[in-house]
Amino acid sequence: MNKLDSSLCDIHYMDVIVERNRWLNHIYPLIKLVVTICFITTTISFSKYDLAGILRMGVYPIIVFVLGEVSFQDALRKLRVILPVVCLIGIFNPFFDRQPMLEIAGVTVTTGMVSMFTLMVKGIYSVLASYLLIATTPIEKICHALRLLRVPVVIVTQILLTYRYIRLLMNEARHTIQAYSLRAPNQKGLHFKVWGSLVGQLLLKSIDRADGVYESMLLRGYNGEFYYDTRISCRAKDYAYLATWCTVFYCLRVII
Amino acid sequence: MNAVHISVENVNYSYEKTHPILKNITFTAKEHDCIGLIGANGVGKSTLLRLMVGLNLGYEGNICVGGIPVVKKNLSAIRKNIGYVFQDADSQLFMSNVYEDLAFAPRNYGLSESEVEERVQKALEMVHIEHLKDKQVYKMSGGEKKLVSIATILTMMPDVILMDEPSVALDPKNRRNLIHILNGFRQMKIIASHDLDMILDTCSRVILMSDGKIIRDGDVKEILFDKELLEAHGLELPFCMQGAVSV
Repeated sequence: MNKLDSSLCDIHYMDVIVERNRWLNHIYPLIKLVVTICFITTTISFSKYDLAGILRMGVYPIIVFVLGEVSFQDALRKLRVILPVVCLIGIFNPFFDRQPMLEIAGVTVTTGMVSMFTLMVKGIYSVLASYLLIATTPIEKICHALRLLRVPVVIVTQILLTYRYIRLLMNEARHTIQAYSLRAPNQKGLHFKVWGSLVGQLLLKSIDRADGVYESMLLRGYNGEFYYDTRISCRAKDYAYLATWCTVFYCLRVII
Repeated sequence: MNAVHISVENVNYSYEKTHPILKNITFTAKEHDCIGLIGANGVGKSTLLRLMVGLNLGYEGNICVGGIPVVKKNLSAIRKNIGYVFQDADSQLFMSNVYEDLAFAPRNYGLSESEVEERVQKALEMVHIEHLKDKQVYKMSGGEKKLVSIATILTMMPDVILMDEPSVALDPKNRRNLIHILNGFRQMKIIASHDLDMILDTCSRVILMSDGKIIRDGDVKEILFDKELLEAHGLELPFCMQGAVSV
């Protein structure tokens, strides 16, 4: 399976797991979004030297992975591209911030090292929390929740349509590459001489497809605003879920 | 007598000034008419359909739908009553699952969620695809996507249905199913297609186009059984008739 097929499978997998009949999947999307935002906000509010405090926040992703029955291994596999980038954020801290902080088994740990780990953990937690949100909530419901939070319609529409277009774009790319490789059987990958024309073709096809989708939307009454399913509403268990997590975050941040 | 619902008078249109696509097109269509729009590739069938829903503007002449001129300020009112099925189902379906896609139009027109659900259910029943209600769009076959595309416009309860090559890429069973479904619709239908057998099975009237002009407008059998006329304009007799001729 080539990389494009593998990426398409990843997207399809996400569509499958959000539709599962799990307890966490039925929590009101706005509540899950607010809890995720609260978690990320609380996490990044820790001091850059408070590694112990940050590690305690790991209770949220652990519990949500269990509650949502989301595979941690799959999460790591899907986030394999973004996690190293996140880890690189604080990579230079040990070079600039060399003040000794403590000594472990004769090795001096500097404040720079601690702040690097803290930044890495903050980044990893934030990415995992976002992953857990999209692994348990369909994209339309996340977009609806964003609109309820008064996020501008332009941004929300961008998110929704990007999710739809990315699949079409990858399919177009896959067809183009398959057509190329069938006529260039002895080549490994794409010859650099055809990169320009292939990318150009892909762009033109994508624009055509985007035009088609937009026209279809216009013909069905689209006027710049997406309307979402309003049949589900916030229930007592949703409020309880929110209250529980807010209390936990408050305790982890302020009391403990 | 049925009222005139679509009138197209002396319409000329071109994407580039030097290369006219449509030349002096004139016809009318009444409620419950079922018209086949036939012609070779590139004669302007799709362009004509696009003009009727205002996807392309800037034409010369007059196009009215339900008595309303097709101009920019009227597009919203016109499109509310017209369902347009694209040739490529992937352009028509842009939400993640079937229910969301079908609910898109009624939600845009301000219906309550219970009314939306009712319309979606009715549209699914009309096309006999109730089992696809919660299916992810990317998991569907070409035939299923085409039927869902048709269902998406039925949720708008349109008075007019325009279809661009509806039978393209369908296997024989799905194509036969599509014909049955189309014959069950009471709305006015204009179907642009090369599939003359399908036109024969679904339409009572045919407009033959060639080189951007209407060559003949009349009874379906009169035109589709005229071998010389069809061959002179890049078409052939429907397959069912070819068999009859060879025998």
